[in-house]
Amino acid sequence: MGMENVIELRGVSKALKAFTIDNMNLQIKQGYVTGFIGANGAGKSTTMKLIMNLLQPDKGKVSVFGLDYANHEKTIKDRIGFVYDSNIFYESLNLKDISRIVAPAYKHWDDKQFKFYVKQFELPLNKAIKKFSKGMQMKASIAIALSHDAELIIMDEPTAGLDPTSRRELLDIFQEVMVDGKRTILFSTHITSDLERIADYIVLIDEGQILFDKPVYELQEQYAIVKGSTELLDADTEAYFIKIERSPNGFQALTKDVAKVKEVFGEHAVIEEASLEEIMFYMKGADHPYD
Amino acid sequence: MINLIRRDLIIQKFQLYVFIPCILFFIFFGSHLSAFFIFVFAGFFIPINAYSYDEKAETNILLNSLPYTRTQIIASRYIGAIFYMTVSIGIAVLLFYVFNRPFTWADIAIGVGITLTMFAFAFPLFYLLKPGHIGTAVTIGFILLVILMGPVITFFEEYLTPAVNFLSSVSTSLLYLSSVGVITVLYAASWLISQVIYQRKAF
Amino acid sequence: MQIIISNSSKEPIYEQILKQIQTAILSGELAEGDALPSIRQLAKDLKISVITTKRAYEELEKAGFIYSIVGKGSFIAEQNLDVIREKKLKVIEEQLSAVISNSKEIGLPYEELQELLKLLYEE
Repeated sequence: MGMENVIELRGVSKALKAFTIDNMNLQIKQGYVTGFIGANGAGKSTTMKLIMNLLQPDKGKVSVFGLDYANHEKTIKDRIGFVYDSNIFYESLNLKDISRIVAPAYKHWDDKQFKFYVKQFELPLNKAIKKFSKGMQMKASIAIALSHDAELIIMDEPTAGLDPTSRRELLDIFQEVMVDGKRTILFSTHITSDLERIADYIVLIDEGQILFDKPVYELQEQYAIVKGSTELLDADTEAYFIKIERSPNGFQALTKDVAKVKEVFGEHAVIEEASLEEIMFYMKGADHPYD
Repeated sequence: MINLIRRDLIIQKFQLYVFIPCILFFIFFGSHLSAFFIFVFAGFFIPINAYSYDEKAETNILLNSLPYTRTQIIASRYIGAIFYMTVSIGIAVLLFYVFNRPFTWADIAIGVGITLTMFAFAFPLFYLLKPGHIGTAVTIGFILLVILMGPVITFFEEYLTPAVNFLSSVSTSLLYLSSVGVITVLYAASWLISQVIYQRKAF
Repeated sequence: MQIIISNSSKEPIYEQILKQIQTAILSGELAEGDALPSIRQLAKDLKISVITTKRAYEELEKAGFIYSIVGKGSFIAEQNLDVIREKKLKVIEEQLSAVISNSKEIGLPYEELQELLKLLYEE
């Protein structure tokens, strides 16, 4: 089968205690960085867990590299590098021992590569993980994820807990890793500025629903923040906006049809490029998020 | 699979240093204890301790994100338990021998039998329990064991010996054979149940 | 050649790349057959997403400025500079016509317009 989609969720439903995913469809494209955004509790981690087969769907299909987990769990996971938002390594062990546990699990573990990242991230090999700072734990996790020639790198909030310098350093490494075009990154975060730099596709999730899955340039071209006098608003013009905030001084709204808004409002409204953060904010509890 | 079993050694480096002194302590100061009880302790120590690491949700997330299947994770637990029990009891036997403490083959057999039976009951129970409760369960279990040890040993002496005598009057080999059979079935059933529980677990 | 991206510019990033490569071709800095950096390498160097550079290259290819060979990369295509110049001149003519009609609307005399043009040109 064509390898254009590395991850495919088809009609996936999962009911958890406080939260449900209902009939989710999602495709993650090969060779690109996909940013997965949404508020805390929107379902990012649950979706990631479904992709990693830590959770099994009640209904629907999850396939990775075109393979299903029922028959190909080992093959799939051998090709995935993972980073979770909290430490999953034995706290009392040092990084050297952890690599001794993890390395033999992979067919293509590259110890040189691992040592390279350990050095680059300035991680101590002989210090217990529990004495690592949050940022160091994250870097340790990333070093392991990048040291077995994984084709798919799944990261849940990898930049959380990192200082701005480390975040930039990491983004550089992710871009470096993407140069040969063999790899795919799925990257959840609420620090949207990280994605504005490296993401090719953005998936927005809210309350267990995928609100959109688009290439970044489409977002930049179609979405905009519009500001103007409330006199501009009526039943017809309101339909151009996803969500409108009104104040005595005018309105601010998000549109996904900049061309139309420009045509109708012309010079009467201020139209600005919408940041991911603004899109995320306005899409949450939108008046009409879906067409 | 071997990697999964080997992992238990890496994570328990420190506990391994404690293991031999513990057995020695029992040999020197536990003269009132039956040899089989020390064998049970020896056989139980490493596998259950390894298990207490695996109860953490984080560890399960790690293991299940690595290229292992859930079937393999459970299998490594059951096979590893037999392996570590054998090595541990072997070491205990060696120490008995070196320090001249008397024991019989029956002590070893009973020790192995009880240990395996305990694993058979403990593992599925642990997989059923919520993470974070296994440490408590083991501690409570151990305290109960210590408190009940006196009465239990009395029980064994009073009832088991006549029972054994009765059974051995039938045939010693038949007794051993049937025990082996019962324990094997118990262990296999436990393995199967754990696997079913683990297969459906969410992390 | 070097490409400088402004994140605060109103112009989309892919258009900035597109224009700078076009300019380099028109000025002769890039000649026929010259290799461009790979899409992914350029994305990494400019610290922008792959899809953005990909879009810029696709537009350049559509307009005939470059061609790509799978597995080898992208190269500057043979340019018919006269044709390109012709096209650009036509665009300039259209834009100037708009300027003139706007000037007439507010009664701006030719001399003042010329002055303004001179001022801007020399800026």
